Amino acid sequence: MNIEGLDPSILAPAFIAGLVVLMTHIPLGYEVLRRGIIFIDIAVAQIAGLGVIIAYTVGWDEHGLEAQVAAVISALLGAWILSWLERKYGKHQEALIGTSFILAATGGILLLANNPHGGDHLKELLVGQILWVEWEQLFYAAMISICVLLTWVQFRQKIGNLGFYLLFAVAITVSVQLVGVYLVFASLIIPALATIGCSGKSGYGLPVIIGVSGYAAGLVLSALLDLPSGAVIVWTIAISALLIKIAMPVKTE
Amino acid sequence: MHFKTAMLCRIVLLLLWLPGAAQAALNVFACEPEWAALAKELGGERLEIYSATTARQDPHHIQARPSLIARARKADLLICTGAELEVGWLPLLLRKAGNARIQPGKPGHFLAAEHIEMLEVPVKLDRSLGDIHASGNPHIHTDPRNVMRVAKDLHQRLIEIDPDGVEIYTKRFETFGRDWQLAIDRLGKQSASVNDVDVVVHHDYWSYLIKWLNLNRVATLEPVPGVSPSTSHLAEMKQLLKTQPAEMIIDTNYMNNRPAKWLSDQTGIPVVTLPATVDFNNNETLQQWFTSLVDLIKEPTK
Repeated sequence: MNIEGLDPSILAPAFIAGLVVLMTHIPLGYEVLRRGIIFIDIAVAQIAGLGVIIAYTVGWDEHGLEAQVAAVISALLGAWILSWLERKYGKHQEALIGTSFILAATGGILLLANNPHGGDHLKELLVGQILWVEWEQLFYAAMISICVLLTWVQFRQKIGNLGFYLLFAVAITVSVQLVGVYLVFASLIIPALATIGCSGKSGYGLPVIIGVSGYAAGLVLSALLDLPSGAVIVWTIAISALLIKIAMPVKTE
Repeated sequence: MHFKTAMLCRIVLLLLWLPGAAQAALNVFACEPEWAALAKELGGERLEIYSATTARQDPHHIQARPSLIARARKADLLICTGAELEVGWLPLLLRKAGNARIQPGKPGHFLAAEHIEMLEVPVKLDRSLGDIHASGNPHIHTDPRNVMRVAKDLHQRLIEIDPDGVEIYTKRFETFGRDWQLAIDRLGKQSASVNDVDVVVHHDYWSYLIKWLNLNRVATLEPVPGVSPSTSHLAEMKQLLKTQPAEMIIDTNYMNNRPAKWLSDQTGIPVVTLPATVDFNNNETLQQWFTSLVDLIKEPTK
C-alpha cells in the first residue's frame, strides 16, 4: 500500500481528463460499434502522428501550435479518405482501417530512419499519459469536446458519413494527446460494448457509470498500488463493465 | 454531495496519517538508480532517496504513476542525468509537481551531465541530424571517473542545500573518494587484458565505458537508436567482421537482445550482455556494479 500518491491535486486533473474523454467517446463508441470499425481510433491517432512527423521533416516546429495544426489536418485528411473508402468498399472497411494503421505507423519509421538519434520521442509526441494532464490543456480539450458532442447530438442525422468521420477525427486527436491510445480505445469501446444489448430506454446512464467508476477506481488503485495509471484504468473500466453486465442482464423484448 | 465531503475527509485523514520521513534531513528524487546510489554513498541516512526508474528500465521512457508526482512534490533535491536523457518526461513531471525547490536554475536541480566532459557532442547542430542528443551522449555513468567528478560537485551541492549536515557530508565524501580511487585503480589493473580489444556495440550506450577501458569500437549494430538497421548496413558489418573479427558484441540488458544475437549467430562472435546500471533497489553499490562490468567484459578474452 502506498498512500502518498492519494493526493486529490494529483488525481483530480486526471479524473476530469477522463470525464472529458468519456463525454465524446461514449456516444461515438456506439456509432463505431454499429459500423463495426472498432480500430478506427487507433488508425486515426496513428495518421495524426504521421502528420506531425511529416511536418517535422519539412521543418515545422514539432511542439506547440504548428504540431497541433499538422495533427488535426492529417487526421481530417485520413478521416476523409477512410469515409470515401467506406462508401466505395464498405464490407472491407475494417481491413482497410487496419492497413491504413500499419501504413501510417511504418511510414513514420521510414521518414525518421535517416535521422540520427531518430526523433525517438517524435513517435510518441501525440500519445499522452493521463497523469501529465495540465489544466490549460484540459480547458482546450474540454471546449473542443463540448463542440464535438453538441454537433453530434444536434446534427447526427444531417452530417452523414463524412461528417461522422471528420467529427471522430477531431475527437480522437484531442483525446489521444490527453490520455493515450489505450485509454481512448477503452473509453470508446468498452462502455458501449457492455451496454449495447440493453434496452434503449436506459440511455447513456449505464455506460457513463461504467466509464466514470472505471476512471475513479483506476486512479485510486494506481495511487495505492503504485502502478502506471493509464494501464490500471483500462482494467478497472473493463471490470466495472463486467460487473454492470452481470448486474443488468440483457432485456429481451 | 454528502458522500463527496465524507470521501474528501477520508482522503485528508489518510494524508495526515502519512508516516513522514522524520529522520532524514533531505528528500532526494533521483531520475536514475546510479544517482540514487551515489547520493546514498554521499549522504547515507541523512537522505531519504527515491529512484524514479529501476535498473532494468529505459530512462528515456517512463509510465506516469501518482507516487512519482507525489515524490517530486516533496523533494528537496532532484538528481538527474540531463543531456536530454529525460526530455520525454522530466519537464512534464517538474511542471506537474510545481515544486519551486527543484526547478531548473535552483540549487535543488542537479544535472550530472553538466559536471563532466561529454562525448559525441554533434559538431554541427542541424535539424536534419535530429535534435535529440544535441548535448552529447547522455550515458555518462558508465565511466567511474565521471562518477567521481559528479560526486565531487554533488557533495558540494548537498552542503549548500543542507548546511547543518556539513560534517557528515564531508566525512562521507572523503571516505567515498578514497575508496573510489582505489576501486578505479584496481579495476584498471584487472581490465588490462582487454586493453585495445576490438568490440561491436549494439548502440552507443557504452561509449564512456569504451573510452575508460580503452576498447576499440569497430562497428555499431544499430546506428539509429530504436530503428532497426538497414539491410545494407548489416551486410557491410558482416563483411567488415569477416576481415577484422571483433572479440565480443556488447549488449545492454534492458534492450532488445535480438539484433546482437543475430549478429552473433552470423559471425560466431560472443555476446556480452552488460547490466545497464546499478540495481539500487536491491542494495547493490556502484562499486559492485562496476566490478561486475569488468568481470563480464573479461569473460570472452580468457
